[in-house]
Amino acid sequence: MSAAPILQIEHLSKQFRGLQAMSDVSFTIPAVSITSIIGPNGAGKSTLFNLITGYLPPTAGGIRFQGQLIGGLPTNRIAERGIARAFQIARPFRDLSVFENVRIGALFGKAGPRDVSATTDRALRLAAIAHLAARPASALTVGQLRHLEVARAIATRADLLLADEPCAGLNPTETAAMIEVLREVRASGVTVVLVEHDMPSVMEVSDRVLVLDAGRLIADGLPQDVAQDEKVIAAYLGSPEADDA
Amino acid sequence: MRRHHLLLVLGCAALLAAGPLALPPFYVRVGQMMLYSAALGVAWTILGGFAGYASFGHAAFIGVGAFAAGLIEVQFATLPPFLALLMGLLTGGAVCAILAAAIAYPILRLRGTFFAIAMLGVSHVCAELNNNVDALQGSLGLNFPPVAPDSVAPEAFFYELYLFAGLAVLLIAWRIRQSRFGAGLLSIREDEDTARMLGVPTERYKRAAFIISAILTGMLGVIYAHSLGYITTDSVYRDDTNLNLVVFSLLGGMGTLFGPVIGAGLLVFITQVILGRLLDFHLFATGLLLVILVLAAPGGALGFIRGWRRRRVQVPAE
Repeated sequence: MSAAPILQIEHLSKQFRGLQAMSDVSFTIPAVSITSIIGPNGAGKSTLFNLITGYLPPTAGGIRFQGQLIGGLPTNRIAERGIARAFQIARPFRDLSVFENVRIGALFGKAGPRDVSATTDRALRLAAIAHLAARPASALTVGQLRHLEVARAIATRADLLLADEPCAGLNPTETAAMIEVLREVRASGVTVVLVEHDMPSVMEVSDRVLVLDAGRLIADGLPQDVAQDEKVIAAYLGSPEADDA
Repeated sequence: MRRHHLLLVLGCAALLAAGPLALPPFYVRVGQMMLYSAALGVAWTILGGFAGYASFGHAAFIGVGAFAAGLIEVQFATLPPFLALLMGLLTGGAVCAILAAAIAYPILRLRGTFFAIAMLGVSHVCAELNNNVDALQGSLGLNFPPVAPDSVAPEAFFYELYLFAGLAVLLIAWRIRQSRFGAGLLSIREDEDTARMLGVPTERYKRAAFIISAILTGMLGVIYAHSLGYITTDSVYRDDTNLNLVVFSLLGGMGTLFGPVIGAGLLVFITQVILGRLLDFHLFATGLLLVILVLAAPGGALGFIRGWRRRRVQVPAE
């Protein structure tokens, strides 16, 4: 993939008191691609998303989005630049309808309110929940809530969507539907960075896979290459040396 | 507010405006209290209902607004009554805006119960300062010049003034609710972290809602002080007002525009008209009634009506 990078992570580190959650991580994300970030629990995937979205300040290193440094900016200012996040545990505005949830994304996000109704409708269609628009968010199933998260995020007219385990807890049919939505999002010109544990989904949808382990980047490549990488296999299954010891 | 809502509001306002012509003075005073309470409830709901920052200390703004207006109006005793009232309103609103802006940053970092209790503290601190700083005349009390024209009974004059003020507050709250700012406040109420993640400038919006709510509450405090004619700290920094502002929304429908209006009307009618003759026993009866109402309709009167309508629509479909 030769597209210009939309996101550049430069020597990023994060320390929580005695815990080094992220150590000198560097990579780039090409525009209009789907890049998956995988790794065992505690690898630093969610910390990375929290750093990119400004929820946490980095201890060291830089984050460039579309060439501009964004590390340390407030979360809402980063959203205004064009980065949106769909949460792992869906956080809908429960007292509002699906339409109102998505409309709030369209009212804010990148560059303020423009064509709010059209943007809301487009996001609902893209996330395949247009038929649920009038329903209260509190009445949705887990799978539908994941679609709502994606719809609300892309309604902000984001250029980069950070999707945190959108397939977790979904059945195969729902997972396939979510993968289709992510592909549609990419086809609409949005770059997707996916954190996901469901390996078949990762292999199916990703243009590229990054692997984190204990806060370090241990692999970066095409899905089939990463799946064969010894360091990745060791990180997931444990190394024979470590087991012998 | 849809078109039929607007027509309903205007129709009710026209009907209410004719109240003093048809009602005996006692009921005009009850109406005055209803309108004042409804206006206060709507001013409170801009912060407590829309943004979800339920304040237990809004009486601070009633007191600060009233005393600021009284202290300035005394300095300009020769002004015509209308101008004196206008000056009082502007001063009360401005001082409340300054107070709210000064405390907004630290206090709006608190959420939920912590914010509610901190606001109660603000109310008590303001009352104590007002009471103990001689220049503020809280313990001595302040007289307000009469502003009602000689040809109009004071209770009728203030009834109409509260009606006008209530409609103005309702209009402001409605405009906010319909705007991008209002949508941002709702998202803050629902989930502040997610709202920020979507690009809502949560800190700025909360501060703005707090200041607007404080200004409107302070201005209503100025009218209240004028309607009393003489105030001390105890008459404006009232804990029952702090509590009632929450109860209005609970009764009518938390977070809704008309909830506090319905809640204020209900509570004042129950306490002043139905239970008013029970003397001290009325507090017990009011408390009991509130518990029953909140248990029976946790979403308030509007929530109850909406639920009933939804059930009525669903039954034939099944």
